[in-house]
Amino acid sequence: MSYDEWFRDDRLPHIYCAGCGNGTVINCTLSAVDQMGWTKDETVFVSGIGCSSRAPGYIVADSLHTTHGRAIAFATGIKMANPDLRVIVFTGDGDLAAIGGNHFIHACRRNIDLTVVCMNNMIYGMTGGQGSPTTPQGALSTTTPYGSAEAAFDLCGLAAAAGANYVARYTSYHVKELIRAVRTGLETPGFSFIEALVQCPTNFGRRNKFRQVMDQIEFFKSHALLVQKADRMREEGKKIPDDMIVIGELARRNRPPLGVRK
Amino acid sequence: MRLVIDESRCKGCNLCTLVCPYRIFKPGTTANRRGVIVPELDRPERCANCRLQHLYGRTLCGVCQMICPDQAISWEEEGACEPVKVAIEY
Ligand SMILES: Cc1ncc(C[n+]2csc(CCOP(=O)(O)OP(=O)(O)O)c2C)c(N)n1
Ligand code: SF4
Ligand code: SF4
Ligand code: SF4
Repeated sequence: MSYDEWFRDDRLPHIYCAGCGNGTVINCTLSAVDQMGWTKDETVFVSGIGCSSRAPGYIVADSLHTTHGRAIAFATGIKMANPDLRVIVFTGDGDLAAIGGNHFIHACRRNIDLTVVCMNNMIYGMTGGQGSPTTPQGALSTTTPYGSAEAAFDLCGLAAAAGANYVARYTSYHVKELIRAVRTGLETPGFSFIEALVQCPTNFGRRNKFRQVMDQIEFFKSHALLVQKADRMREEGKKIPDDMIVIGELARRNRPPLGVRK
Repeated sequence: MRLVIDESRCKGCNLCTLVCPYRIFKPGTTANRRGVIVPELDRPERCANCRLQHLYGRTLCGVCQMICPDQAISWEEEGACEPVKVAIEY
């Protein structure tokens, strides 16, 4: 199969708003899947509920669009029932870290052989822009009209601490790096977690001084800090500004995986 | 190969104009039938992938296709055509 054969042409254009970063993440994931040379019969896409979770509907392979927050739970079932299937989970930040938070950390602990791609738009996109566990401090949303007072979750830190074998973070601007990260995740036995920060112009950008789609992409570009550089800065005792996004490969280890045929 | 934007998919977000090293995509000026202002292509034959895909047997660069959230950018085979002179910028 070639890269564009993974899309369901009859379903496109998709329902995402103009400039929504979810589309970019679908491209990058499918490009990585295509590089792996997998066939559509052996690949399964699973998702929960949210804008991001609509992604599997645009892909020709078998998919499961499950209940809110439960994508990883369903994916675990698929993988345990048939370890030969290649299971990829698309999820949103609310889906993964709010309602599905426990499934997430326990899947990391079990180190089950899944690849989870989280499209983190830092907001509940589908339901109209409520604050999510990853809404940055001070950001405006419909439920935080004076700016979010809470600290945001570091999803990658959570996955790494809970035991995932591979953890990486990129943004929808870093397409080449994102493809490589997803590909490494697909190759890694055990739980792989790839967080892709994406722009949500409709519900996040509009309220947070990113008037144009491009403004948020420019922000990702100028505020991305490679993890190696961040480590160096920490060693030198320099403070990393709060609005910087640490990107790169954040964990890679070799714990025994679950759900891999011996 | 020829670079094309599928007007039935493009939603006019202009992200492609941001990433191309040759600045082939330019913000459009007129809305199409669907009310979308599709970017214009400035001498698309300069695109690395248009020129070299066949030689290398794989997609080169391709950043615009990857970042386009609406899967609107692709390359199509060209038929026989008139030879044209192409100036390549380094
Ligand atoms: C059990 C349950 N609770 C709440 C909802 C309502 N709901 C639908 S989508 C959504 C938020 C999705 O946010 P996120 O996962 O960040 O995805 P996004 O839309 O931002 O991509 C919520 C709360 C639901 N569908 N089911
Ligand atoms: S609401 Fe946000 S996340 Fe949902 S489709 Fe629109 S831009 Fe994308
Ligand atoms: S990135 Fe895609 S959808 Fe956006 S303007 Fe360019 S061709 Fe259109
Ligand atoms: S493939 Fe690269 S060079 Fe060609 S149009 Fe796209 S971004 Fe420009």
